[in-house]
Amino acid sequence: MSPAILNRGRLAVWGGCLALALALPLVLKSGFIISLLCQIGIMAVFSLSYNMLLGQTGLLSFGHAVYYGLGAFATMHLLNAIGKGGGPLTTALLPLAGGLAGMVAGVVLGYVTTRKAGTTFAMITLGIGELVAACSLMFPAVFGGEGGVSGNRVVGKEAFLGFTWGPQVEMYGLIVLWAFACTVAMFALTQTPLGRMANAVRDNPERAEFVGYDTERVRFLMVILSGFFAGIAGGLSALNYEIVTAETLNAHTSGIVLLIAFVGGIGFFYGPIIGAILVTVMQIVIGGMTHAWLLYFGLFFLFMVLVAPGGIASLIAVQRNLWQAGLLGRMLPHYLAVTPPVLVLLTGLVGLIELGYALLSGDAGVGAGDTATRVLGMQLHLGAPGPWLTALAITGIGLILTRWIGGRLGVAWNATLATLYGDKA
Amino acid sequence: MSAPAIRIKDLKKNFGASEIIRGVDLDIRRGERHAIIGPNGAGKSTLFHLISARLPITSGAIELKGENVVGLKPFEINRKGLSRSFQITNIFHNLSVFENLRCAVLWSLGYRYSFWQRLASLKDARLRAEQVMEDIGLDKRRDTPAGILSYAEQRALEIGITIASGADVILLDEPTAGMSHSETDDAVELIRRVSEGKTLVMVEHDMGVVFGLADRISVLVYGQIIATDTPAAIRCNAAVQEAYLGTSPHLGNEHD
Repeated sequence: MSPAILNRGRLAVWGGCLALALALPLVLKSGFIISLLCQIGIMAVFSLSYNMLLGQTGLLSFGHAVYYGLGAFATMHLLNAIGKGGGPLTTALLPLAGGLAGMVAGVVLGYVTTRKAGTTFAMITLGIGELVAACSLMFPAVFGGEGGVSGNRVVGKEAFLGFTWGPQVEMYGLIVLWAFACTVAMFALTQTPLGRMANAVRDNPERAEFVGYDTERVRFLMVILSGFFAGIAGGLSALNYEIVTAETLNAHTSGIVLLIAFVGGIGFFYGPIIGAILVTVMQIVIGGMTHAWLLYFGLFFLFMVLVAPGGIASLIAVQRNLWQAGLLGRMLPHYLAVTPPVLVLLTGLVGLIELGYALLSGDAGVGAGDTATRVLGMQLHLGAPGPWLTALAITGIGLILTRWIGGRLGVAWNATLATLYGDKA
Repeated sequence: MSAPAIRIKDLKKNFGASEIIRGVDLDIRRGERHAIIGPNGAGKSTLFHLISARLPITSGAIELKGENVVGLKPFEINRKGLSRSFQITNIFHNLSVFENLRCAVLWSLGYRYSFWQRLASLKDARLRAEQVMEDIGLDKRRDTPAGILSYAEQRALEIGITIASGADVILLDEPTAGMSHSETDDAVELIRRVSEGKTLVMVEHDMGVVFGLADRISVLVYGQIIATDTPAAIRCNAAVQEAYLGTSPHLGNEHD
């Protein structure tokens, strides 16, 4: 494993990432992109904190949004309480209050949830998540009811080092700094005795007990620390959106963070970051193009679970291994060959989904008959067989080609992997 | 003379209506190598599970170095200096050989649940893990995930994890089960080396291993100990021959 956190190569990677993140707004000036990047930063911290449980300790939680949401509410209430008495510096430090709130929630709830691991843990977190979500609607004074709690992140009269956090790009800078600090801290945690014993408890709790460790205590501490970072992410979201609603702590948010971590790859520290980038971009970009984005996301998730259960990070890791073994060149032509048929298949599928969605959602207005409906930028008659048959034909051709060429890729893939791992053993 | 390493008094264990351990009394002396033998289903592994608190006892008393340990949790007993291995390999599959051993030494070196110290800076933990890795002959496999080691290597790692913490009372549950003859010979050498100066209790089916290693042998039959004595005396014990081997007098040559 890694001998030191501060070795030169790693320092370069960390520094490079920070510099890149800070430099992005200089190139990408659009407000849309900046908002997107802000959301990515927040979700990266949130999903990394989630993976402290799922990937590192082997705890499948269905209620992680509780820590995120409570951190967000705590930050928002504190922001409003400080009000005009505060300034940009206190605002910048507010996510820490969110972290502490998440941590306290971790102490209280983790005490209950971490008695057992496995399915029991998952079920208890589901129950507690629902409990807190229900409470959030029962106490509108604290959680703001349907409308949520809103605030203004620009407080005080004087800027701090020229920053008021008012412009979105300044908020972005703040998010980058917090996200970077949290990521470094969470990575450092994986390199400590507790972090390693969390892995041990994940792999084999019984053996961990017989080398002197109280597995309940290890899980409990990891939940508390994970709650801390989730709370910071929540605090950042409160400042970023200037509104916190009950949705931040409900099951939907808990589900999203699970999907992000899983799609990114729970077996790798950086997996959830990739997941956060990918899912947020899908959510915002595809979500901006079509109302059916959740359907696409669902299909994508299904595809990942079936084809690459290790997530994007595992795919990257395998390619890197192939490259280091000098075998990537063998696979590249196959990757290139399979791309066009996959694109054809996707085009056909998107056509079918959009046609179906337009027909069923009622967006079509009349729905059938002579009225032309706008689907994928084209005026189409949903009642006529033409568009459907075209989409179906494209899908069919794509499917046949993908299966044919994909089959050859599969054969080459297995042979290459055999060479790779055969050489190693 | 100080208290025995392990003292068991009138220990009983029932699973529902069936009595598995039916009143065991046993003293394990400090520094001895003690083997527990007996036919399948005699309760040998159960006895280990009771001593190490993997299973709760039904009644009786267990003392570790003069101290009552009934009711303690496995990790508490481990912290008092008792370490055990398992019949079915029980290792951290996704961690490397080195990480497996480092996990096994962290508590005994006092690092507890620390999340403010870097593992890489804990020189004593690294040296101790490397020492054990060399002792069990796995130093060439340092960075290999434990899950893809060969069976014999996993068994060696199992013993390594058990002894790494420096516990002075060691329980080995069938350390050579499923090994070939040459692997068994290596394992016996390994056990002899690592149990030097410690109290060793082992359950073992391989009579070559038992008579080669043990200072004393206890014979467990249907949840009761029918004899505890030196290997030579056990070999001649009529009751043991009767109960454990039927009428066969070949005790000592059997290689499982």
